[in-house]
Amino acid sequence: MNKYSIKDIALGLIKTSLLLVFMELISSVIFPAIGFQEFKPAFNVLIVLFLAFKLETPGLAFLILIFQYIHSIFSIEGWAAGTLTGILISLSVKYVREMLNFSTAISTIVVVQIFQLGWYFLISFIISLKMGDFSGFIGIFANYLPESLFLSAISHHFFMLMDRIWKVNKKPMGAFI
Amino acid sequence: MNRFTFDSSRWKLLCNFIVIVISLYGIATQKFTMKKTTIFEQALIELLAPIQKGTMSVKDSIAQTFSRYIFIVNTREENEKLKSELEEMQNKIFTLNEVQKENERLKQLLEFGKDIERKKVLAQVVSWDSSNEFKVLRINKGENHGLKLLSPVITQTGLVGYVYRVSPNYADILTILDQNNRVDAIVTRTRTHGILEGHSDFICQFKYVSRTEKLEIGDTIITAGLGEIYPKGIKVGAISQIDKENFGITQKIEVTPSVDFDKLEEVVVLLDHEGRVNYKNEVMSLSVEEAQ
Repeated sequence: MNKYSIKDIALGLIKTSLLLVFMELISSVIFPAIGFQEFKPAFNVLIVLFLAFKLETPGLAFLILIFQYIHSIFSIEGWAAGTLTGILISLSVKYVREMLNFSTAISTIVVVQIFQLGWYFLISFIISLKMGDFSGFIGIFANYLPESLFLSAISHHFFMLMDRIWKVNKKPMGAFI
Repeated sequence: MNRFTFDSSRWKLLCNFIVIVISLYGIATQKFTMKKTTIFEQALIELLAPIQKGTMSVKDSIAQTFSRYIFIVNTREENEKLKSELEEMQNKIFTLNEVQKENERLKQLLEFGKDIERKKVLAQVVSWDSSNEFKVLRINKGENHGLKLLSPVITQTGLVGYVYRVSPNYADILTILDQNNRVDAIVTRTRTHGILEGHSDFICQFKYVSRTEKLEIGDTIITAGLGEIYPKGIKVGAISQIDKENFGITQKIEVTPSVDFDKLEEVVVLLDHEGRVNYKNEVMSLSVEEAQ
């Protein structure tokens, strides 16, 4: 098991936060500016999924909260629904961790896509619940699908980058607190 | 370095529990119709929004350079001196054209708003919401410029939305495309009343209209002035589709907004929420046009 100091966590947190801000800029400025008004990949989901898959740490919930809070600066979606969804997804990962394989691009894409579907199902449910109207549930869920395919497609390379940021080996990270 | 070695599973359980409770509280108190920002959020928005604005400027510069490059390729037979001069002139013309277009747009905006007895603030669109589910845009004016929560936002072509979240120098606008934004509206020709809601992409739905109302495609819809957010008489859009089912008491009406959100660059924010609006002439002329 890898053990990480507070300094390692802080560094990973800062680097990932900067990466998230950069990605949010792409979604909120670049894509709309070049005509993709309806195509805004949720990079925060990819980051939270990476943490859930590869960072087995007690402080994971707080990390998810921080990244979702940063996301809420760029979106009125807010931090709460995404944080709850992220934690539920991370709890579900715990039970299937042994089956997950990120050694090849295909396996990463498939795993990320499956968990993204779970994410979007949960968040669509929470948003519909909050709005008190489930008539648009399918619509909200469907809206996320095109972006999810894009995110899955880039997930392998994105995870390689995140592996470097968090200094993760091939195996999942061990507890660092 | 600090290294902790005690049982992590209990800590994880505790952390998860705490954050889940915080999240549930956050979900329970969250409103998709209006948000008061905390000082911390304001600080983050103030810090990050200029980067969004800067990114937009960089994109404009790249587009400008690209246009110039295309021009240079097409005129490569000319000598270097002429090329250079031409490039410079084209650059100036391009810039002047952009300024002229911007001036025209701003002039139209001001002309459009002269009948509205409210203070107005011109603002530029800085970015869009990063989530596809919410139709929100960010502008470069905020509390320091007099903007308040729920201030209506318009362009010369019609209604854009209202201020959802505001920081000292930036504000988020909940557009009429968002399903959380509900606009009391009326059809100018028949004076039929209904509620306009964001539906999908760039389409809105005009809801709660009785099946007996005889509406037609192309009918213009304006704000009704109810709800204390939008002034009466602002053009919202035109009916683009009407479906009357064999059941139910209402009809399904789709409305295409009059504002082209795809090309939205500048907007006008109306201040002084208590102010009155004099749209009588415009509404009258719209009604006459519809009647004809």
